[in-house]
Amino acid sequence: MVYGLFLVSGLAVGSLYALGGIGLVILRNSTGVLNFAYGAIAAFSAMFAWQIADWGLPGVVSWIAAVATGIALSVAYGRLIAPSLAWREPAVKAIATLGYMLILLGLIGFIWDDALRKIELPSDKAAISVLGVRVTLTRIIAFTVSIAAVIIMVQYLRRSHTGLNMRALADNRDHAALLGIPIVKTETLAWGISGALAGFTGLIFGSLVRLEPTVITFMVIPATAAAICGRLTSLPLTLAGGLFIGVAESMLTLYKPAAPLRTMAPFVIAALVILWMQRGQKLTFAKEA
Amino acid sequence: MTKSIIPPLIFFALCLIGLPLVLSALWVKVVTSAAIFALAAAGISVLFAQLGLINLAQIALVGVGGWIALRLNYGTALPVTLIIAIAGIATSVIGAALALPALRMRGLYLALVTLMAAGAFQILFNAFQFPNGGEGFWGVARQSAADLRPPLMVQSDAGYLRYTIVITALCFGLVALHRVTAPGRAWAMIRQSEANAMAAGINVTFYKIWAFALSGLLAGVAGGLLSTALGQLDARSFLASEGILLFALAVVGGAYSWVGAVIAGVLYKLLPALLNDFGVSADIALVIFGAALLHAIMTAPRGIAGQLSGALQRKPA
Amino acid sequence: MKLQFTLATGAAALCLALTGTNATANGHAASCGLNTGEAATGAPIKVGGINGNAPPGDFSGGTDAAAAYFACVNANGGINGRPIDYLVENDQWNPELAGQVATKLVKDEGVVALVGNGSVVSMAVNAGLYKDEDVMVMASGCAISECYESSNIVSTNQGPLPSGIGALTYAVEELGTTNAACIGFNIPNNGGWACDWMEDFMSSQGLSGTSILMDPTAVDLNSVYLQAIAEGADTILLMLPAGPAIGLLKVAEEQGGRDLFTWVSPTPLYEPGVAEVLGDYWNDNLYIHIELAPFDSDGADNQNWVKVMDAYGQPDDRRDTFSQSGYISAKFFVEALLELDAESIDRATVSAAIRGITDAESDLLCAPYYVGDADRHMPNHAGRMVSYTGGAFEVVRDCFDIESSYLDPIRAQEAALGIGQ
Repeated sequence: MVYGLFLVSGLAVGSLYALGGIGLVILRNSTGVLNFAYGAIAAFSAMFAWQIADWGLPGVVSWIAAVATGIALSVAYGRLIAPSLAWREPAVKAIATLGYMLILLGLIGFIWDDALRKIELPSDKAAISVLGVRVTLTRIIAFTVSIAAVIIMVQYLRRSHTGLNMRALADNRDHAALLGIPIVKTETLAWGISGALAGFTGLIFGSLVRLEPTVITFMVIPATAAAICGRLTSLPLTLAGGLFIGVAESMLTLYKPAAPLRTMAPFVIAALVILWMQRGQKLTFAKEA
Repeated sequence: MTKSIIPPLIFFALCLIGLPLVLSALWVKVVTSAAIFALAAAGISVLFAQLGLINLAQIALVGVGGWIALRLNYGTALPVTLIIAIAGIATSVIGAALALPALRMRGLYLALVTLMAAGAFQILFNAFQFPNGGEGFWGVARQSAADLRPPLMVQSDAGYLRYTIVITALCFGLVALHRVTAPGRAWAMIRQSEANAMAAGINVTFYKIWAFALSGLLAGVAGGLLSTALGQLDARSFLASEGILLFALAVVGGAYSWVGAVIAGVLYKLLPALLNDFGVSADIALVIFGAALLHAIMTAPRGIAGQLSGALQRKPA
Repeated sequence: MKLQFTLATGAAALCLALTGTNATANGHAASCGLNTGEAATGAPIKVGGINGNAPPGDFSGGTDAAAAYFACVNANGGINGRPIDYLVENDQWNPELAGQVATKLVKDEGVVALVGNGSVVSMAVNAGLYKDEDVMVMASGCAISECYESSNIVSTNQGPLPSGIGALTYAVEELGTTNAACIGFNIPNNGGWACDWMEDFMSSQGLSGTSILMDPTAVDLNSVYLQAIAEGADTILLMLPAGPAIGLLKVAEEQGGRDLFTWVSPTPLYEPGVAEVLGDYWNDNLYIHIELAPFDSDGADNQNWVKVMDAYGQPDDRRDTFSQSGYISAKFFVEALLELDAESIDRATVSAAIRGITDAESDLLCAPYYVGDADRHMPNHAGRMVSYTGGAFEVVRDCFDIESSYLDPIRAQEAALGIGQ
């Protein structure tokens, strides 16, 4: 019974890590940008959704606002700033998103004071019992959306025309451009999808864990750990990595000496994955990611 | 070469003599912090400018140095200056050890490894806390912190600022020395091409680890200085997010010269304190930093320091 | 532009509702200091205050209330004609900033004392500075050991240790607690300190207690809650600021954990805005120890606190226990200063006057307030117990003191000063 409790709880946290990781990988696959501002976009979206609800507008409007804010913030960066860095190395592109993250974080702090807030979702009230744990509909939604996002994206990349373009861009940007693939359009789409996921993740995270902008912003670090488990490219592996990290973190609670260190799980697991990926390489001749 | 050391010498001498005289008690403390973090930023610059390596875990290493210094200050009767030196050397060993997995990587994956390390250290600091005069290896008592010994001959905050400036200047000198001697030349070749460097008979592994060790040394010394400056350390000062911020500011300031590191320290500690003193929200500083980072990456890769020296050089003498 | 927030407006609305009835009932203006009704015009007396307002908690209630009370005093004759110039700084939970702002106030501004302080980090960093400069601090919102173990700091609020043990005392005596889990921040002089003494209290009663210390930046409160389940405790003591405590209660609500444990908490959860965030689930299942009188108490000082805040406070000032505490600290401070010759006021005379406070009574406190010349101070260690009943809190036990060997030196001081005899 007690293991079931920790398993279910771990899957719930893990699906949040996975959701974040999936959003990162989708974007990175088609644009080559590892977006550290993902968490800040999620935080901004969640705060905006709270603001809408606080103004007295119906819940549905605020949830749509969260996703729309995510898309808007993500696409804004994708259209205005990312193109001028398009030909730089991946590390520089990633570092540039840190700048965007700082801007968004500063804006959030400036607009919204520190106060007790919460986002109510109607799905918080409905719940079923799994392995003796009461699981709210919100957690089930987070879990199913993360799986559905992976399935849909994998199918989309495989079968649709734009999906093919995205894969072409991911493989080789220069060649894709030569072939006449509409780079701007394809990339904007990727920024949009990733932004929508960020908005959704922020909303769910704010409801399930805590509506605190800094906490949501820096959930990008464990989400990156999940993405690393998927080698920054594979959606199914990212999902599996996120869920595994969540469960490992939760199970460590049961072993008292390790309990205070359990939140290290994402970093330790990600570091091991990186080391394993580098196995067999020669000592020198460092590779660009 | 002799010419190029004159401006920094004049700068540090002016700071040493002038700052403690003109600053009020508040600003003495703030400038001490800024000098300490300029030192930490110099460590980031060494890796970024010399080898193109991104280190987001420098703040974590500052915490490691601070932990060692606190532990030794409470646990032994060694002089504080020696403790700071030991903290620097021990942190440089840890920094070099962290570099081992990084030897085969650079670019994005190295940045990610350091980010994961920063995240892990954040948890470690939170779980074990910083020594406060308690018993045992971890030295944490669940009570008020005990007093720390200050360095010899340092009785006041102003004296500690002078002490910090001297140590910072010495460490900057050490970095400058590296740039113009064998390690600097080796790093330049490695940055161009590892294969060529190896063909030229350079021990690539050794010099890469050497760079990490130097960067760790600077972080450790900064941590040691910080622990005595504050009297105690708090786990919340060494979050992964702070490592990201300090890296951003090192790039904004300019990684290619000592002026950039000084600017980074000033931006990191002095600007928020100024805004706070004016009653302006510190959130504004974050927005400015973010915009400055984007600006630096897109159009000014040498940072503010580069733009300053560019402006000076364009002026007819 | 700042947007308006439910909590602030909610709190303000609540207070408006409270004062609406009272103000019309007795119609008197706020009473402060000399009550002359004339503004003080002499040379200002500089007084400092440091609060901590940033995630994970807002501790600004004490300085807000002290500022309001000082404004009222300044409008009513000041300190024998001299107004108080009250300088407030926010340490933002940042130890470096805390050291800087205290240095600024104590050394650069030369304040005669600090009043209304509320912070978790500032006292730890600055206890040494206050002692070296011999400046007294009459704090209002303290949560760490330094506030109660330093010669120059005296706090009107109890902090987590007595308040937490008070809550447990009630739980043991009335709710059948035998095994308590103390959930606190893993900060040695805060959660570690308070939870350690809680364990000591439980074992002195022949019962058992465990500590669950969490990372203050922890993201996943769910696993903290699960840890409590794994410990097999029957009672959970929430030794946390209001924000994280509410987060934990939400997790428990989601898991249907209300009936699994007895839920008790020290003062932080006693906050006007809490009902809006907690809802009805916890009605009659959450017991909170309060350090000062209830917000709706009829006592003269409590009523005057409301009036002072209405007349001189800012609309977005928090009206929580820290606010009451800041008011009463400021009031005792002003009373001590009024005893002095206005011209002789400097740091040395003010420190001596504060140390001279004994047997100061207020209906906000269960027992008399005193300072004295000692190496540690904890004048307030008796409180009341309230039950959360949704919209309101109901007092379930009136003033009671706690039993802990931590108080031995404090009781010795009280005996020497002849207090509570």
